[in-house]
Amino acid sequence: MSRLQLEQVRKSFKNGDTEEEVLKGVDVTLEEGEVTALIGASGSGKSTLLTIAAGLQRLSEGRVLFNNQNLAEWKAEQVRKIRAQHFGFVFQSSHLVPFLTVEEQLSIMMDIADRRGIKQEKQKQIKKILDEVGMSHRRTAYPSSLSGGEKQRVAVARAIIHEPSILFADEPTASLDSNRSRETMALIQQVTKTQNMATLIVTHDEQMLNYTDRIVKMSDGKIVS
Amino acid sequence: MAWKEMKKNKVKFLIVGSIVSLISMLTFIISGLADGLSQDNVSLIKNIPEGTFYMSGDSNDSYTQSHIDDQKLEDFKTEDEHSFAFSLQMGALKTQSDNQQSVAFLTATETPLLNTVKSGEVILDRSLKDEGIKIGDRLSSPQSEETFEVVDFIDHQKFNHSPVALIHSKDFNRMFRTKEYQLIYSEETTENMGGLQAFSKSEFLSTIPSYQAEQMTLNMIVWFLVVISGLLFSIFFYMMNVQKIAMYGILKALGIRTADLFQMIWSQMALITMTSLLVAALISQVFQVFAPDTIPYHLSVSTTVQLSVVFFVVGFLGSTLSGLQIKQIEPLQAIQQGEA
Repeated sequence: MSRLQLEQVRKSFKNGDTEEEVLKGVDVTLEEGEVTALIGASGSGKSTLLTIAAGLQRLSEGRVLFNNQNLAEWKAEQVRKIRAQHFGFVFQSSHLVPFLTVEEQLSIMMDIADRRGIKQEKQKQIKKILDEVGMSHRRTAYPSSLSGGEKQRVAVARAIIHEPSILFADEPTASLDSNRSRETMALIQQVTKTQNMATLIVTHDEQMLNYTDRIVKMSDGKIVS
Repeated sequence: MAWKEMKKNKVKFLIVGSIVSLISMLTFIISGLADGLSQDNVSLIKNIPEGTFYMSGDSNDSYTQSHIDDQKLEDFKTEDEHSFAFSLQMGALKTQSDNQQSVAFLTATETPLLNTVKSGEVILDRSLKDEGIKIGDRLSSPQSEETFEVVDFIDHQKFNHSPVALIHSKDFNRMFRTKEYQLIYSEETTENMGGLQAFSKSEFLSTIPSYQAEQMTLNMIVWFLVVISGLLFSIFFYMMNVQKIAMYGILKALGIRTADLFQMIWSQMALITMTSLLVAALISQVFQVFAPDTIPYHLSVSTTVQLSVVFFVVGFLGSTLSGLQIKQIEPLQAIQQGEA
């Protein structure tokens, strides 16, 4: 079942007097339980496509369908709510909040997603996700005391704590060594299956494609395969 | 989240709080000294309740040139029984050991605001007690042959930075060769009092030579300090939040509401400012209790509250300004900056 459909997405930027088209009518569908990889050379438009799909920037033309509703037509506040409640994000850097412990990072994400609920249930959910990403033993640690790989694990945990429908990951292994990269990708693949999410991942690293279900190759703003 | 950040970065917030506290304490203390000097100058007038002061029409706004006849005083008494007349002249008193003290001689008709004194007696401001003058001492006037027996001391009665010496009208008239009072005070404003000029308390204070110039200087110092402190406050809070713009951008990308970020910014500002102002206010009030009498220091609770409100509002504006910048930041921009 499809979770997100991008239809004929176009994006142009003004560059002085000229208008540069970065996306030239792209169609992508994200299916539940599937990791879709976006690959391509730098400047091919893959990161722009991911950020448009994630509601982080507006498209120039086309449609982004989530639950059969076109996000491109929604107001910023409505898109924010969707992002908070239904989308999860893993960035190139972990971007953890420096003054929150591992479990507080997850707790705050549940608050942002309006999943406050009963304290015990919240704690149970945090424990479950930390167990899943193998970070239970570091639950009271601050980001400054975590290794790069641990930080990315916590970032993955934060991205899925509110049980989103779609996980967006923009080069999540770029700052990790090959062992840690494999671990992180295996984790993303695992949580995509266990939580039945749709995952869209941008990567440069071809070795990471072993952990994906579908590969979409982009070149010059178009899908080439 | 605001509290968690403060708990994690205790030293950073303690430093910011200490600086805010020290700056506000400096402003409170300078303000207390300014007000203290003002009290030291004219506490005699400041201690009289709000009302109207009258001078003769030909006085050129100078109480020393004013003269009011007895009939006018009677007219006032019929209108307001609490009204009274008084006169002031600068002079000096000499102790038996030839120690000379500058004083402001005061005489007044009967009023509950001032003690009554008989001819040949003087009541002095308590500051002269610290100079070694005691009840029963005999003081003489260097400019006449009058002598006075000290019968009492009164608190906080100064004029022109000199302690007040309250004497009987007969003695005053003999010493300064006058028969009339200079001023009438009434709790009520009476219209058309036959050529008399009416002044509110603040208007009357501004007619006193040196008072206005001194006050303008002191007020300028205090308000200059308030403006500088206020600017520092707002810059502090602005910088504190601007440093965290990237983090706020990431939180926005995750879906946090801008209103929640504003709440975080404001609650940190409120907690730091209120705690710092409370500490500063307490220290400056304690200083009031322990400050030596030779330092004129008077910091009223209302002045402390007024200055605190100004600082709080300025801190609020500074943090709101940074909040507006945070409102404008695009989540995408923050992510890209963080990954550059």
